[in-house]
Amino acid sequence: MQKFRLTQGMRGAVAAAAIATVATLGTAPIASARTIDILETGSTLLYPLFNLWVPVYHRMHPEIRINTQGTGSGTGIAEAISGVAQIGASDAYMSDMQVKQNPAILNIPLAISAQTINYNVPGLNNIHLKLNGPVLAGIYDGQIRDWNNPAIQRLNPGVRLPDHVITPIHRTDGSGDTFIFSQYLSFSTPAWNARVGYGTTISWPAVQGGLGAIGNPGMVQASSQTPYSIAYIGVSFTREVARAHLGTAEIENRAGMFLLPNLHTVEAAAQQLVAKTPRDERISLVFAPGKFSYPIINYEYAMVNAHQADGATAIALRNFLSWAVNTRGGNAARFLNQVRFIALPPRISALSRQQIAKIH
Amino acid sequence: MTLKPFRMVLLLATSLIPLALAAIFVFLVRYSWPAIHFNGFGFLARHTWSLGNLYANPTVKHGQQVPIGADYGILVFIVGTLSTSTVALAIAIPVSLGVAVFLAEGLSARLRPLFSFIVELLAAVPSVVYGLWGYSVLTPIIAHDIGPAVRDSVGRVIPFFGGSIGSGYGLLAASLVLALMVVPIIAATVRDGLARVPAETKEAAYALGATHFEVVRRAMLPMVRSNIIGACILGLGRALGETMAVLMVSGGALNYLPNNIYSPVTTMASFIVSQLDSALQDPTGMAVRSLAEIALILFIIAVLTNVLARFLTGSRNVPTI
Repeated sequence: MQKFRLTQGMRGAVAAAAIATVATLGTAPIASARTIDILETGSTLLYPLFNLWVPVYHRMHPEIRINTQGTGSGTGIAEAISGVAQIGASDAYMSDMQVKQNPAILNIPLAISAQTINYNVPGLNNIHLKLNGPVLAGIYDGQIRDWNNPAIQRLNPGVRLPDHVITPIHRTDGSGDTFIFSQYLSFSTPAWNARVGYGTTISWPAVQGGLGAIGNPGMVQASSQTPYSIAYIGVSFTREVARAHLGTAEIENRAGMFLLPNLHTVEAAAQQLVAKTPRDERISLVFAPGKFSYPIINYEYAMVNAHQADGATAIALRNFLSWAVNTRGGNAARFLNQVRFIALPPRISALSRQQIAKIH
Repeated sequence: MTLKPFRMVLLLATSLIPLALAAIFVFLVRYSWPAIHFNGFGFLARHTWSLGNLYANPTVKHGQQVPIGADYGILVFIVGTLSTSTVALAIAIPVSLGVAVFLAEGLSARLRPLFSFIVELLAAVPSVVYGLWGYSVLTPIIAHDIGPAVRDSVGRVIPFFGGSIGSGYGLLAASLVLALMVVPIIAATVRDGLARVPAETKEAAYALGATHFEVVRRAMLPMVRSNIIGACILGLGRALGETMAVLMVSGGALNYLPNNIYSPVTTMASFIVSQLDSALQDPTGMAVRSLAEIALILFIIAVLTNVLARFLTGSRNVPTI
């Protein structure tokens, strides 16, 4: 008797069917008619915070189901505009032109984040090297090629800097971290501003051997694997940076002070710009004045369309976002400390609430 | 005549494929038309890619609305794509020919199906798995072991293999990952060809006093010449279009060309996926259209390599899997 054999094609079909079955089972809607689904997508820096928020919020409001995705700030903005996502997370605010094209999209700050400049220089990772905007701009545009360059030595008298080529690492994907790092270089160094400027992706000057990495995890990995490299990394990755034994630089602010990001220096910088924050809350917090202001901080935004498809979703969004910006809710220290974010100052959270009230 | 409805269905099904191909081409040309107009031929020769200032109001240049300072040149990515594919094939072809000959001739008939299955299984592994392996395992090995070894041997003779090794991410890592992905494709195709070489041919060669090695080299491999070329083109197609795995290990070079085999590079396919996110933020849309123009160029390169394959094999029957 001839055995039954699957032909190549049939085997493929069976496998495909099996996969399809598993996939459908996995995502089968278990929702009752009343469940409201909210999709959050975008910034990888905000992603860990949303993942702390959502389970807690879901326990309080089981009827609201929020799905989170870390896809990048650009995708967050684009999907908030297209309506795929109800919340687009972004480290960068929208440009004037984007706002003109999409007047219904609100830029709502949820918290304040900062960025560290990290390096992997064998022997020097335990001390905090001092760096400033012009030196970082020189490293990233190829004019400062070696660690023992006089410009770096001048900022670090008494430190024995190695005679070794620097490998600058930048983000390959569109990133809010690139946005605020390049803003710091632009605001502190006119030559950089004229030649390169700022954005979520910029045209990095050609530095032979300069590396690109994907996401903050990629920056940590590339930097720890590459001796004599330098990188900019979101502050919510401080734990990973410590585990990789990278050095963290003290960065010069507008007043000429060299600072590390911590609760006090980030808050001090934010306070400087509270009064200047406009009603639509689109403003850069980078290179703030003030003696104790850490220079590279930013608002973390939720991009939300003011006109939601249905009333129930609009109410759910209003409730969730109001909870998120409240210091007794999502802005509580027990959430923010874990990712090293800072709560919104009262005036800013009031502005955010005014914007949230526009969602209908 | 009774077959007519059946024939109609077949015709419909068959014409879907060229139609889809034409539709993709037409879409790419139409969508990227403003970019083609704006970029001109310099698109292929410039090596600066800049989205311009997305936070300032756009200007009008060559009749198109574009961000201030926008400049799209893709020479770096063309070089990245062609160099990774070339190096990958240079590594993969000898290895896969060895594998194919071993599978067809070097194994007992009992073990042959098992080993062939394993090789084919390699082709079924999703590329992102290779990428992850390359990212976490291969790049440190290149930085600490392979790189120094190659530099201190071949690098002393050929400058392209010498110089700074860097971090492990780069042309060599991308090529090795691509080679790994391409080997099963070439090996499986060539083995199929070798298995179809008539027994009479082999017997005739043996009868003339040829050794096993000579039978393979003189009688069998020449017979599957067009198989080999076709298989290499299939592999090249895979290497040219590979996106994720390359993105994870290539080091993402921007605005400069590789100066040795360890240099970071960027390929066209991986650049499209890594930049789409940022391009979407360009309110004028020129950045996304320029990415589409890259896709168009990649499409044309793929078609050209296939045409070249037909030309090389000198026949119309390039084998496919």
